[in-house]
This record gives sequence, structure tokens and C-alpha cells, in this order.
Amino acid sequence: MTKARKNARQLIGTGMHRVDAAGKVSGETRYLNDMPLKGILHGVVVRSPVPRGILKAVEPDPAYNWTGITVATAKDIPGENVVHMHDRTMPLLAEVGAEVRYRGEPVAVVAAKTLAQASAAAAHIRVEVDPLPPLLTLAEAVAVFKSTPDKFDSMKSQDIVKGDIAKGFAEADDILEGEYEAGHQEQLYLENQGVVVYPQKDGSIFADGSLQCPYFPVHELNDPLQLPPEKIRVRQTPIGGAFGGKEEYPTMLIGYAALPALKSGKPVKITYERNEDILFTPKRHPVWVRYKTGFKKDGTLTAIECDYILDGGAYLTISDVVMFRGILHCALAYRCDNVVIRGKVARTHSMPCGAFRGFGAPQAIWGIESHIDAVAAHLGRAPHEYRQQIHIRPGDSTPTGQILSAENGSTTCLKQALQRADFARKWRQSSQGKLRKGQQKLYGVGLAFLGHGSAFTGDGEAKFKAKGRVELATLANGKPGVNIRVSSTEMGQGVHTIFTQIAADALSLAPEHIRFPLADTAFVPNSGPTVASRTTMVVGNVVYRAAQDLKQQIEAFAAQHFFRGAAATLKDSQLVAKGARPVPFAKVAQAMLKEIGGASGSFQFNLPDSIRWDQTTFKGDSYPGYSWMANIAEVEIDPLTYELAVTRVTAVIDIGRVINPVTAGGQVEGGLTQALGYAVMEKMGTGKNGLYDAARLQTYIIPTALDTPEFDIHFVEYPYTFAPPGAKGVGELPMDGLAPAIANAVAAATGRRLRQIPITPEAIYEAVHGGREGTP
Amino acid sequence: MKNIEKIAFQFPTTLAAALRLQANEKTRGKLLAGGTDLMVQWASGVPTPERVTSLWNLPEISAIRVLADHVEIGAGVTHAFLVDCQPLRTHVPALVAAAGTVGAKQIQARGTLGGNVANASPAGDTAPALLVTDGTVVLASQAGEREVSLSQFWTGYRQIAARPDEIIVAFRLPKRGKARERFRKIGTRRAQAISKVMAASRIRVEKGVIVSAAIALGSVAPTPVRLTQVEQFLAGKKLTPALIAEAEKLAQTTVQPIADIRSTAEYRRWASGRLVRDALEHL
Amino acid sequence: MSNVTRTWKLNGKSVTVRAPAGRRLLDVLRDDLGLTGSKESCGEGECGACTVLVDDEPMVSCLIPVGQLPNGTEILTIEGIARKAAGRVIQQAYIECGAVQCGFCIPGMVVSSYALLQRNPKPSTRAIRDALAGNLCRCTGYAKIIQAVKLAATRLAKRTR
Repeated sequence: MTKARKNARQLIGTGMHRVDAAGKVSGETRYLNDMPLKGILHGVVVRSPVPRGILKAVEPDPAYNWTGITVATAKDIPGENVVHMHDRTMPLLAEVGAEVRYRGEPVAVVAAKTLAQASAAAAHIRVEVDPLPPLLTLAEAVAVFKSTPDKFDSMKSQDIVKGDIAKGFAEADDILEGEYEAGHQEQLYLENQGVVVYPQKDGSIFADGSLQCPYFPVHELNDPLQLPPEKIRVRQTPIGGAFGGKEEYPTMLIGYAALPALKSGKPVKITYERNEDILFTPKRHPVWVRYKTGFKKDGTLTAIECDYILDGGAYLTISDVVMFRGILHCALAYRCDNVVIRGKVARTHSMPCGAFRGFGAPQAIWGIESHIDAVAAHLGRAPHEYRQQIHIRPGDSTPTGQILSAENGSTTCLKQALQRADFARKWRQSSQGKLRKGQQKLYGVGLAFLGHGSAFTGDGEAKFKAKGRVELATLANGKPGVNIRVSSTEMGQGVHTIFTQIAADALSLAPEHIRFPLADTAFVPNSGPTVASRTTMVVGNVVYRAAQDLKQQIEAFAAQHFFRGAAATLKDSQLVAKGARPVPFAKVAQAMLKEIGGASGSFQFNLPDSIRWDQTTFKGDSYPGYSWMANIAEVEIDPLTYELAVTRVTAVIDIGRVINPVTAGGQVEGGLTQALGYAVMEKMGTGKNGLYDAARLQTYIIPTALDTPEFDIHFVEYPYTFAPPGAKGVGELPMDGLAPAIANAVAAATGRRLRQIPITPEAIYEAVHGGREGTP
Repeated sequence: MKNIEKIAFQFPTTLAAALRLQANEKTRGKLLAGGTDLMVQWASGVPTPERVTSLWNLPEISAIRVLADHVEIGAGVTHAFLVDCQPLRTHVPALVAAAGTVGAKQIQARGTLGGNVANASPAGDTAPALLVTDGTVVLASQAGEREVSLSQFWTGYRQIAARPDEIIVAFRLPKRGKARERFRKIGTRRAQAISKVMAASRIRVEKGVIVSAAIALGSVAPTPVRLTQVEQFLAGKKLTPALIAEAEKLAQTTVQPIADIRSTAEYRRWASGRLVRDALEHL
Repeated sequence: MSNVTRTWKLNGKSVTVRAPAGRRLLDVLRDDLGLTGSKESCGEGECGACTVLVDDEPMVSCLIPVGQLPNGTEILTIEGIARKAAGRVIQQAYIECGAVQCGFCIPGMVVSSYALLQRNPKPSTRAIRDALAGNLCRCTGYAKIIQAVKLAATRLAKRTR
């Protein structure tokens, strides 16, 4: 027994089973739409029928029977009509006399006892708009940018400058340019968006929702609702997938629901059906990116010049930060002394784009990883061998001048991935446009290499100071235990499990004593949004430290109350002191709860003082830590039809300390599968009416179990030692590299470089036969 | 209440009862089998009918019979049932392959052959495979039964040659005999996919010469189509690489596909020829 | 509108429902009977989150008007599968393999897995992929789900020996 305790298993690093799995496999977990709610109203959003115009009228049909129906328009907004995101341009509901800027922009909310009644009534609101000519797509905006740059409407611009770009091009022996494009991508969480807003007697509101960032609505709706943060309480319900899609948007949804809720005094629920969810919630930003690179005969990059333009949609919302993360990843992974990156957010008359796993980085990496392959081909070099030469490694400086520390496994990832996939040999077998002996299909292998910044940009985390608590409590089962209180939300990624592991190890307590209740702003301090690959690294550190703090308090209490002042240690769920019988944790905790009403450990995140960041010049340490990945795709293309199959994907990844290899592996497999969809099938156009053309699951196509490749995923660990347990981010990274790896594999298979995703059979056909696409 | 809940449903338990309902305009309902097309349309906002006559589980139209020179498949046979029927793999293998590409398991368990044909989508997965059998559709009404050639059954975009009082009860499909069949679908992904282009063929070769050829395509025209020009071109000719190349080109010049959300006109045209090549290369 | 009364064997118990004939089985299960384990995601038969077994066949309950299910129909939902020994083996395998993330697709996925293993106790990887192709998952990339079905198959084979 004693021996077993000595060797008690550390949970960090193990594949502990998920704490939330049992309810999910049995169907018992209740998502928002599974909750029985009585006496609520159902809300329906009334929208602009055109993409752009002057809103003339929003009028309920006087002939219709409006009994029992609540209609809220901009006139019902108690305060200023603005959703305060990263600027103050977006109204909560469009106002009569003002311009509507996208098809579907909300103009009113109708609530009734049933959804059918609300929908029927909503159809009787007359929305009159004097149409204006819209600019619907990024392609149109880029055409303006190319022809008349001063007429290009950029909602936000930011440059990164390193060295002297003119000198860099002067030193170059050769220059290569390339443009790369990608369209919208839908998050396609399986559970659609939904919130319920309960108006409270004191005029405050309480919202339940499938949302990632409970504190966002608390701070973003103060102006329109005229409620201070403490009067907006938000609680997460179990989330059926989010991927960024439930980051900023639920704020708007809560705002929409709050209006009829405050007006009627009744709770209002708004949930979208799939079609409405796809049409009117944010997507991944379409991108147009142009690279111009200068290089020596030996391949050394002397200059990287890049224009990176995102389609922000009609309002900025959070697109500035998406663009920032994008430009910070545009040339991150390669050594180069002279760099200019110009980022812009184009305004179009479309639904504002928003957060989606990767947050601008997949678009950047789609460009650079395609382009580096093109440079290698131009130089007559193999892509892997060339990347081994030019990739960034500890001691090198990034485009913002950050010197990479030794805690970056970039080289190891690249080396091991090439070995695991036997890349060099397979590269030689690539078809290059012609079936080789014994090949039935065109075969190609492609590589992408990348880093992904973990946590907020620059000194964002230092400024934000994520807070968290770990507190002693009586658990739902009546037993004493520990609650983790942070605002991080479980959306499938496994945070409830890995934080349980972290707290358990920090406290030396078995996980059955630990609970992580769903985040509720009434009970959790603000540890920040569940975004930016920051949760395990930043909030995990907060939980670790807070748990250590609580441990000390428990030990001090035990020393005093159980061991006559002798130093006590909490170890393996027992309090032990020299020469005394161990006391079970539960007994001590019970006593603490009784005697002093509980205890709570807390911590506030900080960054090393050495971090330097200038948000104006974009110079300095752009992220506290970087995760790395080398990602290899193998493809087979049927020469008969150009149908493409991705057969095998290799990923070697440095995410620092791996807390749970099973959940981390699941993150990677899932992210790679989203990236697979992005690369080869997920396609969404915009019609002349301003609506997406693929707005149902029949038309918006994501991978099925028959479409996914074999995965070979391997972690190498270069921990972020400043923040124990030393994790870096994993959430977004797997989304970053597979699209270019596949495009590079397609180039190796067909001899044609495709510069637009998704790479469909039609696109390959055009590249091979139409000659419209670029050269190899 | 959802619109589908407002529909008046009729559940005849015999074919005779169903035909009686359909005979009278006042009791006639929109025919509904497994609902895998109509329920989707109604959910997406297509106006619902006032009345529906359900054909699900009607015993008289749910059997498969293997006869001397043809097979008779009840219109109510589900794709799942069809796929599991061993003799059909011998006699109409392209149809079995096609049924196996409809949706996924859940859809195959509900979708019926009759429903797929009556829905008359140019992308109906079973249509090309049915067409190449030179079989017939058996229509029943209170006036009796009649057979319509499958090649004349789809009269236009989502239109069929059945009278309002008629119900599709079965398909009579000649066995392939010594001919070879092939089915190939190019979809948007590998399951739960609607086709970009698909082809079915039934071709008989004797001593290196094509004796008869039936080739049909889906998703390239308002209706599923037979490539009669290509078929006539091939008949009686020796199967050579040159012939295959010519047939591929000919197919590409005969089809007039359109662009839609799933594919481009150019690709469809090209792929039509490629699938003809595929059929000929697998004889 | 026409209301129908139907008596089914739902999760092993006799249940009588009265509803408009066109009401979707999914709505009857979730809203009328409180069986919220079956989820709605697309409402058009594409995602499989609402998969249930009807007379042993996996079907999407969002496309079934209840009137079409005659008296005596056997319906098994995730709630019923959770009470079956084989169902629990599958669920445990899902937990152990880390096959669950957000969980929204999982009830439907478990139902499809159960249907597969009833029919084909030793499925190949390809057969598993085929059987699950009508259940979309956006979190996992399916790898651990496929692994879980294999593990469950192995364990169930041992039990029956």
C-alpha cells in the first residue's frame, strides 16, 4: 500500500479518459436544445432582404394579429445601438434611415410562444430597403486593390517590416512571385448556435448558451443593453462543437434575444436551424495572398514581400486580430533578413467573417507553404531538402525580430516527419504528371512546415492577466472535493479532462475528488476566452498554480488541526506528516469546509519580464511560445477522372508538454480532417443575392468516415518551461498545414500547381487541360 | 407546428386500396415511399401537399422476383434490400452498385427504387443503371397495369410519364446475360454524395467485337440519358484503343451538361467521355 | 392534418403515441417522449445525429413521418442501446479510445456502430468506415471512433465465445 502510493501515477502525460465522455456516449448530456424549458418565448431574427441599401422601414403588418407576440427593433434598444467588439461600427439591429450592409443583417427580432408562431409573425414584418450596389466578394475587392488601390476599402491595415526589402531584392539572384486564394470555410459544429436569455427582476439578464467565451457578452453588450458587466451573467451549456464559430457570434445572439426578453419580461430562446446557421453566422475569412520572394542561387531567401488580404465582410468585428495572426504567420517559418508583410481587411457587403480554428494562420500558411514549394521547384530543389536548409530554428529571428528560444522543436519536427513518412523515397516516386511503371493512379507526396503562435499576440497575456481559482467545495455527490473555477469552456477539445489532470497532479489528489463545472460568470473569474491555442498553456498554468496554492492551504490547515503543528503534505489524496498516521484528504477537506468555510487557491497569469512587444510597429516577441508541425500528405489522383484521395497524412508536432496524448491526438486528427475538407471539398460561393450558395449539409460537403486518410501522428516535446506544466497550444495548429501539403502533393502528382482551394476534380481538370492555372 | 404536420396522410395497407385513393381526385395524395427525397424537400421549404398517400411497407410492391430472362423489382424495395439481394449482383450488377452509392446506410434503409425513379432527379443514382437494362417501369392504376420503357419514362426535368392516378409498382429488367455491366459515380465525396457525373453501361463483346452497347449517364442533362449516338457508333466494331478514344470524344461532343453547385459544365463534359472510356476499358 | 395513434416497442417497452401523421419521429422522440439522446443537426438526413434503429435497421429519424411506422414497430434509440450489454461495451470502447469530443454526433454514431456489430461482428476497417459514413463528425477525424468500434468488436467476440 505504502509502496503503491509512493509510485502513485502522475496523470499529466497519460491518456486519462475524458471526464465528460460517459454522459455523451449515453445520450444523457443535455445540450441547450435538450433542456426542458417552460414558459419561454422563441425568437426569430428578421433580416435585410438585400446585401446593401438604405433601410426605409421595418413595420409590422397592421392587419396581422400581434397578440402574444413581442417585436423588437432598433427602437427598443435601451442604450446605444452598437455591439462593441474591436470597433464600434456594428449596430445590434440595423436602424431605419441607416445603411444595411449585408444580406441577412438583423433588423428586428420577433418572439412568440412557439417557434412556428414567431416565424409566421416574422413573415408579417415589412422590411423596406432602397438598394445600393453591393461589393460582394473578395475577388471584387482585390480587383479594386490591383487597379485602383486608393479606392480599396480596408477596415484595418497593418505592416510588418524587417530589414531592408529593397536591399534584399537587390541581393537576390532570382525572384519568384505567386498569388494564392482560398474562400469561406464553415465551422460546421454539429450543434447549431443557440442561447436563452432570462430577464431578471432587477433588470439584469442571465444567458445560457452554447458559447466559447462567457465573458465576451458580459463586456460587449453593456452599451446597447445599458447594463454594466455585473448585470450580465453568462453560463455555458454543453457545447456541441465550436471551432471558433461560437467565439464572437454568441454575443450578437444574446443581444438579439435580450431585446424581446427585456421588452416582454419573459425568457427568450433563439436557436438556429442548420440553414440559418450556415447563412448568417461568421465563417473563415476568404484570403488573397501574394508573395514575392528573392533568393540566392544556393536558395538562401534574401527578401519576402507579401500582401495578405482578408475578406472581413460588412463590419470589422474581430477581423483585425485575425489579420494580425495571419500576417504573423505569413513568413514565420523561414530564415530571411528582409521582410515586408502588408495585411489588410477588405470590406465587402457580406456576413462578417470571424473566428475559425487557426484564425488567419491557415490562410497565411496556405500561401507561404505553396510558395516555398514553388521556389524549391524553381531552384530545382526537392521541397524537403530545401526546407531543411531554410527553416527557422532556435537562435534565428522571426519577421518581428523575436529570437527563437531553445524551446522550439522546429528542426526536430521536420526531421522526424521526413523520416517517419520516408519522404525522400516517396518524393522520387511522385508521378509528376505521368504514371510511373506500376502506378494505377497519379501519386504525389507533399510537405508543409509551420509554427503556430500560442496564446494572445505579443504581450496580450501579460496585459490580460488571466485569473483562475481552485476551490474546496462540497461536490454534487455530497462529498468534499475541489472545483476548478476558470472561464475556459469545454467544447469537445478536452479541457475539462486535462485541467482535471493538471489540478490532480498539482494537488496530488485523485481525479475523483476534482470537478470542473461548466463556466458561469457568476462563479468563475475571467481567465479569458477559450481561443487562440491559449487554454492549456495559459489557463492550464493558472490552474496548476492555483491548485498548488490551495494545496499549501490544505497542508497548513492539516498541520494545525490534525498533526499538532507538524508539517503536513498532501500526497496521493492523503495528508501525511512525519511519524503520524496519514489522514484522508476527504476528512481534512470536510473539516476545512466546516471550520473555516472552505478555501480557495488562486493565480493570475503573467509573462516573463523579458517579453517585449510593440503593437504599433509589430516588432518584438509576437507570441510567448510557438508550437511546430511538419505535415506530410500523400495523394492519389485517378487519371481517368481526377478524383483525388488523400491516403496518408503524417504529422510530427511540438506542442510542448503533452498533457494527454489521447485528447491531443484527437485534436490533431480532427483538425487535420477539417483541413482536409478545406483543401479538397469544402466550397462556398456567394450568389448575386448576397447569399452563400452552399447553405445546407446537402451542398456544403465535409469529410465522412470514408474520406479520411490513415494518420501517423507523433509528438515531440519542447516544453514551455515558464508556465508549468509546460504545454504550448495544440487546438489550431493541425488546421494550418494540410491544405498546402495536399496542394504540394497534387503538384508532385500532376506537375501542376493549384493556387486555389478547394482542389476539386474540376480544379485539377482545369489546371491540366485549361492551362488557366499556373505552371508547375 | 411544422408544415409536414399539417399534411393529411393516408396509409393504405394494400395496393388495391392505394390505387383506389389515387383514382379519385378528392382522395388522391402525393405519393410518399421512404421519404428520403420528399421529406428533405419539405424540410427545406418546398411547399407541402395537402394530402399524402404513403406507399411505405406495401407488401405487393416490396418483393424481388428473379424470372427466366428478367428480374422484377418492386418499386417499394429499399436500396438496402436491393444491395443485399445476391441474385441481383449476377443479373443487374450495375444497379446493385448504384444502389450502394445512394446516401449512406441510413438512407439506403429507407430510400426505395420506385422513389428514386419517381423523384426524377437527373442525379438519381439508380437511373443510369436502370436505363442500360432496356427494362420497363410497371405502372398500375384502377384501369390496370401498363409498362413504359425506362428510356421513355423521364420526360423532362423532374417529370415522369405516369398519370396522376398511377403508381409505379415494379421494374422489369432484362438480365444482362453475357453482357458486362459497369457503374461509376463521381461524387462530391465518397459517401452521402450527390453525383457530379455518373455512368452505367451494359456492353456485350464477342470475339473482340462489340455486339451491343448500352451506356447511360446521370447529372449531365435535365434527365438521365442514354448515349445512343455512342452506342450506335460502337455497335459492330472491334474493341480497340483507337475505338475507345473515339468513343470518349464522341461522348464529350454529344452531352450538353450545365454548371451547378456540384460541378462545372466543362468538367462534366470531359468526365462523360472519361466514364465511357472507363466502361470500355473494363470489358 | 391527420392524427395517428401508434403502439411501438420502443427501447424494449410498449409505447403508444398520438401525433400528427407527418410529425417527424425525431420530434416525437425528443419533444413528446423526452428522449433527447437523439440529436438534430441538419434536419435533412445528411448528418446522422438522429440515427435510430427501426426494426434493426439504422435510419435517420428526421426523415420519418411517424404515421409510416405501423403498430408493432421496434424502435431502439441511444437510450435503449445504453441498456443493452453490447451497447455498453460499445460505449465503454468509445470512452477508452478517446472517440468522444464534443459528443453531439456520438449518440448517432453509437447507434450506427451497434447496428453494424449486430450484423457484422468482425467488420473490416473498410466496413466500419462504410457503416459510419452516414454519421458526420466534425471533431475527431473518425480515427478514434473507428478504433473504438474495432475494440468493441473484439470484446464482444470474446463474450460470445
